[in-house]
Amino acid sequence: MSITPLRPRAGANNPDGPPVRLVTPGAQDAAGMLDDNALFRTVVMPYIDEAYRLARWLTANGTDAEDVVQDASLRAFRAIRSYAGGNPRAWLLSIVRNTAYSWLRKNRPATIVSVDDLEAVELEHSRPDESRDDSPEASLIAKVDAEQLRVAIAKLPAQFRETLVLRDIEGLDYREIAEATEVPIGTVMSRLARARRRLLEMLRQDD
Amino acid sequence: MSRPRSDDNSVLLVHAYLDGELDPANALSVAQQMSEEPALAAEAEHVRELQKLIHERLPREEAPPGLRARIESSIGATRQSRAMPSWMQTWRALAASIAVAAVVASGSTWLVVDSRQQPMQVAELLVSDHIRGLMAPEPVDVVSSDRHTVKPWFNGRISNSPRVVDLAKDDFPLVGGRVDVLGRTPVATLVYRRAKHLISLTAVPAGDAFAIGGPHSINGYNIVQWTENGVTYWAVSDVEAKELETFAQLFRTSRNEL
Repeated sequence: MSITPLRPRAGANNPDGPPVRLVTPGAQDAAGMLDDNALFRTVVMPYIDEAYRLARWLTANGTDAEDVVQDASLRAFRAIRSYAGGNPRAWLLSIVRNTAYSWLRKNRPATIVSVDDLEAVELEHSRPDESRDDSPEASLIAKVDAEQLRVAIAKLPAQFRETLVLRDIEGLDYREIAEATEVPIGTVMSRLARARRRLLEMLRQDD
Repeated sequence: MSRPRSDDNSVLLVHAYLDGELDPANALSVAQQMSEEPALAAEAEHVRELQKLIHERLPREEAPPGLRARIESSIGATRQSRAMPSWMQTWRALAASIAVAAVVASGSTWLVVDSRQQPMQVAELLVSDHIRGLMAPEPVDVVSSDRHTVKPWFNGRISNSPRVVDLAKDDFPLVGGRVDVLGRTPVATLVYRRAKHLISLTAVPAGDAFAIGGPHSINGYNIVQWTENGVTYWAVSDVEAKELETFAQLFRTSRNEL
């Protein structure tokens, strides 16, 4: 018995729907699709580790981070033509960040603190702290272990956490962070200073 | 000594100085300020200490193995679904079965495959289905690398939905599923990817136990077949016979099931 004739997978005319078009191989926009894939490979794929780490810091969970990165990669792929040739890492991380926040809003609405709330919390929090004298002794936090450090960073409000993570763990410069988090550089600077101070504060209390 | 507020400009500049963000003139002026104001010098000291701590204690974790493969495969899926609007995908399974019904009704004999179909004829039909899958705008009717999406999709379309296992970590990511028609019987076909090759895995309820023995080849396509729990599985692909057997082995032994 020889190979049977190829049956079309789509019928000619469907009375109830739009006509089903029979697409033959090669009739598609092959060149355009290849370009998208090539772009994706150079713009997105090299930064999957960074994307995963940021998602993990934002969702506090490895499995959720994987879902977020996979979703973000799809979004990046669909938007790959809107990538204007800037910093690819910052571009991808801004998508990861937005994906993570939509994910959190949907799955853990309680963890989302709006920026307004954040400012209020921050003012509240800053008063006793600001008036306190600084301890002159060095190495107050030298004995802090990885777990304590991780927990303390996880406790930072998300906007502070992402800024600190992008700078002090990922090593992005201010301009990249501003791009990834979609705020002016001045905001990056003040968030970073506050994040570091709060983190130090928590670590000292741990000690 | 009182500590300057964190939004104090001089504090922000100290942080920026430590981060190497200042131009030489500003860096010089901040260094000067730090030497005159102990509070700023202390701020700098603490930030340095914190950065050192983070650097030493928090190694940068890599993305889990398999994540890249899953992304690649979902991109492949997207690329294909772009080629065809969603209404087409919805209509395609139906259209395909209409086409089959038309051919069957027309009296052609080659499609009349009943449960007494000879195994090798089934194999040939499945190779044809595989080739049609390759030639179609996309090889699947439901695009998903997630077995939790693919398995329920078959419910309601096929009386027995197949076992769906996740083999992404073994570099056989799931692409999706489609309904093939064997004679008059709709059967579930899962599509996995191996590098640039697709593997069609069709589950046929084995009213009669087929057996074709070891791996076969029809027109350059390899076929591996086995039976478990009353279902005969047929894997068809242009990957090498050895790889297809590895795939079959992994599928049979995987506990990574829905």
